[in-house]
Amino acid sequence: MFSVSIGSNKEIHLAGRFDASQVAVAKEALDRITDSGTVDFTELEYISSAGMGVLLATQKRLMASGNKLTLVNLNKHIRDIFGYAGFDKVFEIR
Amino acid sequence: MEKRFPRDFASLPSIFDYIAEFMAIHKIHSSAAYSLQFIVEELFTNLVKYSRGGREQIAVELSKHDNSVRVRLTDFDVDEFDVTTLPDVNIHEPAQSRKVGGLGVHLVRKMVDTMTYEYSNRVGTITITKNLARDDV
Repeated sequence: MFSVSIGSNKEIHLAGRFDASQVAVAKEALDRITDSGTVDFTELEYISSAGMGVLLATQKRLMASGNKLTLVNLNKHIRDIFGYAGFDKVFEIR
Repeated sequence: MEKRFPRDFASLPSIFDYIAEFMAIHKIHSSAAYSLQFIVEELFTNLVKYSRGGREQIAVELSKHDNSVRVRLTDFDVDEFDVTTLPDVNIHEPAQSRKVGGLGVHLVRKMVDTMTYEYSNRVGTITITKNLARDDV
C-alpha cells in the first residue's frame, strides 16, 4: 500500500511502499507541486528506482523555476540507497 | 524455490510475498529484506520494460547457499538483453543534467556481489549473488 498526501502546511507525506506499480499515483500528486517544499519520509518503508525517478523528475522541474524539494526523516535503508544514487547531491536531506 | 509471474508491474506484490516466504523458510533476518526486494524488483521491472519478444511469464528463483542468497530470473522466448552491459549512471552530474532512467541497474550493481547474464535458445537468465551480513542470518 502506498499513499502520498499534502498537508495544510504544504508538507508532502509519503507512506507505505513506493514501487514501480505506484508511479502513476505519485506522479499525479507531485505534478501539482509548484513551490519549494518538504517531503516527509517518516512513514515510507520502501522505495525503488521507479519512485526515485519520480522524485528526481519533480526536483528537476522545480529547480528550473528556482524551487526545490527537501527530504526529511529517511529510514537507514532509503538513506543508504539515496547515497549510492548520489541523491544527497540532488536533494537537501535532513 | 522458483515461481513464475506475469510480466506486469502488478506482479510486484506477489513477488514481495514470495520473497517474504523465502526469507521465513530460511530464517533470513528482516534486515536483508530491503535489498532483496529492491534487487528483484529492479531486475524484474527491467525485463518487463525492455526485454523484447517475451510473452511467457518470468521465472524468479531464490536459493540460499551458506552465507549468501542467489537470485535468478529467467525470461523465455526473448531477444538478447544483457543487463550487465548497461552503462553506469554518472551520479556526480549536476541535478539538472541527470537522466531520470537507468538508476535501477546502477543500484543493483552496488548491492550485489556477483551478477551474470546468459543467453541461449532465446532464453535469457540473469543471476546475482548477495552475501548476507552476519546480522542477516
